[in-house]
Amino acid sequence: MSDGPLIVQSDKTILLEVDHELATEARHAIAAFAELERAPEHVHSYRLTPLGLWNARAAGLDAERVLDTLLRYSRFPVPHSLLIDIEETMSRYGRLRLEKDPQHGLVMRTNDYPVLEEVIRAKKIAPLLGPRIDGETVVVHSSQRGQLKQLLLKLGWPAEDLAGYVDGTPHLIALNEDGWHLRPYQKLATENFWAGGSGVVVLPCGAGKTLVGAAAMATSSTTTLILVTNTVAARQWKDELLKRTSLTEDEIGEYSGAVKEVRPVTIATYQVLTTKRGGLYPHLELVDGHDWGLIIYDEVHLLPAPIFRMTADLQARRRLGLTATLVREDGREGEVFSLIGPKRYDAPWKDIEAQGYIAPADCVEVRVDLPRDERVAYAMAEDADKYRLCATSETKTHLVEQLVALHQGEQLLVIGQYIDQLDEIGERLDAPVIKGDTTVKVRQKLFDAFRAGEIKTLVVSKVANFSIDLPEASVAIQVSGSFGSRQEEAQRLGRLLRPKQDGRAARFYSLVARDTLDQDFAAKRQRFLAEQGYAYRIMDAKDVPAG
Amino acid sequence: MSLIRALSKELEARSDDSLRALFAARPDLISPVVPDFAALAARASARVSVQRALERLNKPEMQVLETLHLCTNTDTGHSVSAAGLKKCINGATLAALEPILNRLQELALIHRADPPGTVHNPGRQRFYLPVGSLKDVIGIYPAGLGRSYTELVRLQPAFAQRVVNLVAELHQSGANILAATTPMDAALALQRWTSTPESLQHILSEAPARTRPLLNKFGSWAMGAVPQAQRKASVLHEGRDVGPVDWLLARGLLVPLDAGHVELPHSVGLSLRGGAIVDHFTLKPPVPELGHTSAALRRNAAMGAIAEVLRLVGELLHAVREQPLATLRSGGVGVRELKRLADSLRLGLSETALILEISALSGLLRLDVDSSTWVQPPSLEWLTLPRQEQWLWLVNAWLASERAPSLVGQTLPGPATAAPRSGSAASSINALSAEAQRPDAPLVRKRILEILEELTVEAEAPDGKAPVLNAETVMERAEWSQPRMSRRFSSLVRGILHEAELLGLMGSGALTQLGSAIATEQPDLALSILGEHLPAAVNHVLLQADLTAVAPGYLAPELSEKLLLLADAEGQGPATIFRFSGDSIRRALDAGQDAESILAFLRAHSATDVPQPLRYLIKDIASRHGRLRVASSPSFIQSDDESAISELVRDPGAASLGLVRIAPTVLTSAASPRETARVLRELGLSPAVQEAETAVVRYKRTTAMAAGVRPVYTAPRTAPPDEDVDAQLALLRHHRTVHGEVTGEAATQLGLETLQRAIRLKQAVTMNVVDGLGNSNTETVVPVSVSGGRVRVFDAARDTERVLSIHRIIDVEPAGDPSK
Repeated sequence: MSDGPLIVQSDKTILLEVDHELATEARHAIAAFAELERAPEHVHSYRLTPLGLWNARAAGLDAERVLDTLLRYSRFPVPHSLLIDIEETMSRYGRLRLEKDPQHGLVMRTNDYPVLEEVIRAKKIAPLLGPRIDGETVVVHSSQRGQLKQLLLKLGWPAEDLAGYVDGTPHLIALNEDGWHLRPYQKLATENFWAGGSGVVVLPCGAGKTLVGAAAMATSSTTTLILVTNTVAARQWKDELLKRTSLTEDEIGEYSGAVKEVRPVTIATYQVLTTKRGGLYPHLELVDGHDWGLIIYDEVHLLPAPIFRMTADLQARRRLGLTATLVREDGREGEVFSLIGPKRYDAPWKDIEAQGYIAPADCVEVRVDLPRDERVAYAMAEDADKYRLCATSETKTHLVEQLVALHQGEQLLVIGQYIDQLDEIGERLDAPVIKGDTTVKVRQKLFDAFRAGEIKTLVVSKVANFSIDLPEASVAIQVSGSFGSRQEEAQRLGRLLRPKQDGRAARFYSLVARDTLDQDFAAKRQRFLAEQGYAYRIMDAKDVPAG
Repeated sequence: MSLIRALSKELEARSDDSLRALFAARPDLISPVVPDFAALAARASARVSVQRALERLNKPEMQVLETLHLCTNTDTGHSVSAAGLKKCINGATLAALEPILNRLQELALIHRADPPGTVHNPGRQRFYLPVGSLKDVIGIYPAGLGRSYTELVRLQPAFAQRVVNLVAELHQSGANILAATTPMDAALALQRWTSTPESLQHILSEAPARTRPLLNKFGSWAMGAVPQAQRKASVLHEGRDVGPVDWLLARGLLVPLDAGHVELPHSVGLSLRGGAIVDHFTLKPPVPELGHTSAALRRNAAMGAIAEVLRLVGELLHAVREQPLATLRSGGVGVRELKRLADSLRLGLSETALILEISALSGLLRLDVDSSTWVQPPSLEWLTLPRQEQWLWLVNAWLASERAPSLVGQTLPGPATAAPRSGSAASSINALSAEAQRPDAPLVRKRILEILEELTVEAEAPDGKAPVLNAETVMERAEWSQPRMSRRFSSLVRGILHEAELLGLMGSGALTQLGSAIATEQPDLALSILGEHLPAAVNHVLLQADLTAVAPGYLAPELSEKLLLLADAEGQGPATIFRFSGDSIRRALDAGQDAESILAFLRAHSATDVPQPLRYLIKDIASRHGRLRVASSPSFIQSDDESAISELVRDPGAASLGLVRIAPTVLTSAASPRETARVLRELGLSPAVQEAETAVVRYKRTTAMAAGVRPVYTAPRTAPPDEDVDAQLALLRHHRTVHGEVTGEAATQLGLETLQRAIRLKQAVTMNVVDGLGNSNTETVVPVSVSGGRVRVFDAARDTERVLSIHRIIDVEPAGDPSK
């Protein structure tokens, strides 16, 4: 029996003992086909999923190598049924291939006649297919390329897309590496993406996903459409591209609710694309009416359903997805796989943190006791109101003041969900509040001032969660969160993970009312962070040192 | 001469060694002991014994025996020699046949006989006849051939009615067949028409397409299913596009038996086989094409499976200790209870059922008759054994068990499927229910392991590889080595292979070293192999900030037991993840632990520091644990006067009450309310006794339950012990019977033989029958049938049919020639 760092469980998880001498080697070997699920301090757990295994196949790994890796690094015998299952699952990818045929256009080919027969007979797939050419080839309506891939994945026969891409309109874009360089992992991510054609790059917040996008654009040197979550993010992309590439102001257009510019590089928000008028998407033309050579999806895990539908029609164009996590709260990971493409690069947060590119964070949960009257109110409240009551407790406001005093002089964010509470905190701290109704212009101004250090404290609501680069924030205080979304927690922490110039550790406080729903939700959110390997401490409000 | 007498004489003439060989091969012959050779011959001819003997024959032996059966006639004494058999068996040589005939003779399934009267026997060839009951045991399709036309006409009235017409139509259509006026003549005409391969070839030359493939389906078995077998088919009204079934039916080449089945008559089947009864004969077993798996994979699979099954059995016992398994009124453990167990084991239903069955058959669970629940017997030795011995315990129990665990969950055959009531699903076999009982399971298991070993050795896999064996391969070999037995295998073989895989006897589809050691009955070898490969138990866990403890491997049982109190187990596999939560910590506090002892325990068994969130959780829960307390006390004393209460506590006169002050104004007493009040009154107080329930003292009845006993596996014995054989031989050799006098067992068997022979030949017999008053009468009757201990006879003198009980018949003799 070898004494490897892995323990392969029969429930399809793999445990990795981090302190083992072969741990790093084993981690790299299994990262290619297993999804990191939890990364607490001693034992990381990975999960084997069909998608993960297919991602590995797409990256050129075969079942034999996967099995060999497991057997080599495993400390105990590997459950045999699992080995069989892996082999079976991996053999499913690529039995069907989408290819370009000089005569018939887009075709689906296979070497495995029964599979094609099975697939052709599926009710939903039949209408997407044209005439059968021979036993192993069938014509595919080129407009249905995306939908076909989606349905094939659902049937468990994911197709390998070898049909290639349209070139798009050439447009010279170069990286402007002046005083900075692409980090090795960014380079690798770009190369992997380009070699694979289309796909998703997974990097933690603050690890420079925008630069991966810019590098991909430079490699492609074609007109590019960038889809982002909101207008603020769009501006940040624009600034970053101006700074890091040869692109000029005139070459970059913004396509949002306010401005509708179409330029060689256009940055559009998800929201404007998904706006419906009279049952139609009036801005759809932006996507399919132009000859884009590359489409970049920022924050793929937030991609709304209509965008998926549009993407299904864009299968002939290169697509790059960028995200910090492939976990989607709605479980649409399969659609990301079939429509955007397989995962092309992934690096665990901890690895990048260890390389010194993102700042380590220190998470503290502070438990507050509700005062007696609030407890009574909470106990008697309707279920629907309970969370609001405990999350917006008076004591939290006092505690925020105390914490702000403690971190005097540091760039500090207060994050919350309930506007009343945020307003009150803003008033008490004499700090500006950014919420849904704050105009983009004001937001931009406030963020700029915060970045420049003119404002030390900023109170933000949900709208500030995503894609806003606040590199100098070093302390965040979360007063209320939205019902335990793991996703959100990671994003919030991500805000603080940008490397600080003086190498300080970031501090993340989460205020939780004891013995209430708040604590349950907090426990869920926390678990995600603890699983991601962030040291989590819990303390009582009374133990917080006075500022 | 009677066959039994002939056999008896032959047995008597045998050497002791030959008899020993016979007893070793057919142990049922001397159990219980037989008094003399006549009884031995009678027992060897008995149906059940012959049936058992046939189960041990391999395919070529069976083929020779069936051919011999078809070539002889026990009634007329028509015997056959090896040369005669050779003609009927394609590919046979005398050199191949003779050893087989010798063996069959040694098994007392055939015996030497005089050559048929007409045969000139210059070469002093040996001629043979089978035992009389072989006909009944082999069944109506010996060698897979159908019955003859004459027999079909006799037994199938519908065919008898039609056959004359059928032959007439054939004759009319120009076929080369004799016209006939009676069914028997017509049958003989058909028989002659199809008697040679050439004539059949000629007939079939005009058959429509697909006729040949259809007939080939009847190649190994004469009966087949055909829709509307009794359809009207006639040669005269045949269209051009006639189907093969119609075509064959119209010519009588297939004979309808009932609405859905047809039979291929003997002569047609024989001609299709080119005139030989057996068309493929070989002494060599089929050599399967086997795939290979690597020895490393095989070991990985086996060791993984063993660790897993031991862990699961351990967990199952833990779950049963927590809550015993309730049984259904109809027996067995119901699906709901099984589901609960599956949830706690985090397994699927079918796997859970298997583990449950294996635990129960190993004696790790016992049915407590008082509560009708399955519980773990107290002081179970298994729990204290090293893991390799735990494994051997399970394997031994499994080998010896008459249960077939894999049958659990399968649907019950029988009425449930025949008439499913609306809404009720077909019932399936419940875990631990009587339906999964298979008395022959140990034998089948042993045979399958032997076959696996045999095939593995034969395959001679290259170094580092092992041959992959599946159910089909095993079945194929079983069909060759024991064709009569293999039918019993088919329902069990898959399950047994699966269970073997679960126990690590098979791995990655191949027989493992452990399996081979077990198959060759070397348990010690298995133990030492396993001892080398099973990893040692770990004695520490890794505590993490996400409130989990990971045991990196098999955790020492006592540690695991304690951790299960503090945390809930997660996941499935060699490592266990324990998750701490408020509830689980509370559970431990309820069980009497406190924060310090929990933390001390964790520190002692953790390879790392106790993380802050876990420390916080334990302290936080502990500090708030017990804000409300629940306890029981036989009575309490309450007073608004705090000082009175204080006095009472200090009063030595009240010491006998065991008073505890739980609040300023409340005391609890260890005595009953009445007793407490009495003591208080003695102290000069006047307590008011509130209406209180009298405590009910329940005595839980405890039944002494046998502890699980370590199973000792002895392979099902196929040969009787030597001393029994010696004793039997001594008895046989010293018991001299007056020739011709038979008693007991032999007499009954002889009588039956005479009756059966008379029935077949439609001869009269003279019987000495005892009537209800004990008087014996001699009667001459014609027996019609024998079954169920009764014989139906036709009494020609009274012109009636009667039924007689066999036990009333003292003796039977063939009636003398009526002409005399």
